[in-house]
Amino acid sequence: MRFRDCFEYIASRWASELVILSAGNCSEMWWEVTHDTERAFYLEASMSLASMFGAGIALGVRQMPVWVFSGDGAFCMNPGMLMVEHQMNLPNLTHFLVSNRCYGSTYEARLPNASSNDYAAMARAVGIERVYAFDSLDSLKCDFDKAVLAPGHTFVVLEVEAVGKKLQEPPMDGPEMKYRFGRYIERVAGVRVFDDSLK
Amino acid sequence: MAKAATGITAQIVEQVAKCGIQLVASLPDTWISDLIEAFDKDERFLHVPVNREESAIGLCSGAFFSGTGSLALMGASGFMTCVYALTKINYTYQIPLLLFMTLRGSMGDHAKYHVSNGLYLKPLMDSISMPYTVVDSPNKVSIISQAYTHSRVMSRPVVVGFTRSVLRGEQ
Repeated sequence: MRFRDCFEYIASRWASELVILSAGNCSEMWWEVTHDTERAFYLEASMSLASMFGAGIALGVRQMPVWVFSGDGAFCMNPGMLMVEHQMNLPNLTHFLVSNRCYGSTYEARLPNASSNDYAAMARAVGIERVYAFDSLDSLKCDFDKAVLAPGHTFVVLEVEAVGKKLQEPPMDGPEMKYRFGRYIERVAGVRVFDDSLK
Repeated sequence: MAKAATGITAQIVEQVAKCGIQLVASLPDTWISDLIEAFDKDERFLHVPVNREESAIGLCSGAFFSGTGSLALMGASGFMTCVYALTKINYTYQIPLLLFMTLRGSMGDHAKYHVSNGLYLKPLMDSISMPYTVVDSPNKVSIISQAYTHSRVMSRPVVVGFTRSVLRGEQ
């Protein structure tokens, strides 16, 4: 399915979830679709750590669903993240693997073993039970509620086409993103992120 | 393991608890096996064994945004693999992080294959302006809480390095 169509649909269903995007196409496409500056954290400098970052958040704000989007380029750098995710078994964590079968943000360079990687099978192999894979927008729409809105640690593979062009990076630097996102969490979740509260 | 090691392990764990840390993410090194086990068994902490040290960096950095105090615990070799994660995540986004590390390759290490850690660990930390402090005796364990506070004041990672003799209770 088209990458943008996929993200546009998911963003249309976005309610109260905190969203973590991995570096490259995921961050850039979510920015392009939503222009959100508070509820999404564009972990543009991450390479394979977005789901661990999201798990750390999900651990402390159990009442808030956390969606993590990582590309398969990021995933292949640290597939063992699935072992840690399953071990933690956070019911409010959904990990979307955006599979375009290439290193998207570096001019779509070849991904190792691209045609054979079965990410859903890898997730099942470590014991993750709620595993879904969608390669069409219709199938995503049909089963979105079951896959994404039901509670339980979930791994969702989204097979998308390569973007084919360079996208704009979210125009915020690190500290700005840190404070926008952190203050949002403080407001809605009632936790104290920073030592000096705004209250 | 010597009885004194139990004592130093308990001291370290108490200092970490005193900081309000609740999450400990670890990857083992032989020098910290007792410490990892102590965190794992202590109900005050959620101990998460990770697959690689960078995952500990990611997990603890995310935990910051949920108001959860955390500690990344690893060996020196593992720390060497984390330069990317630390400089890209913690430095870029100015996220504090307390990191415990074994000072492999330093005087007293009997392992030959930690030569690179002995030669390059401290110069590496200096080269990336990573604040660090060394616990080489039991009476320095109390610096842990200072290191944690410092990481939050500076919004940067701070490393606490432990020598073999202190972790093994040989002092």
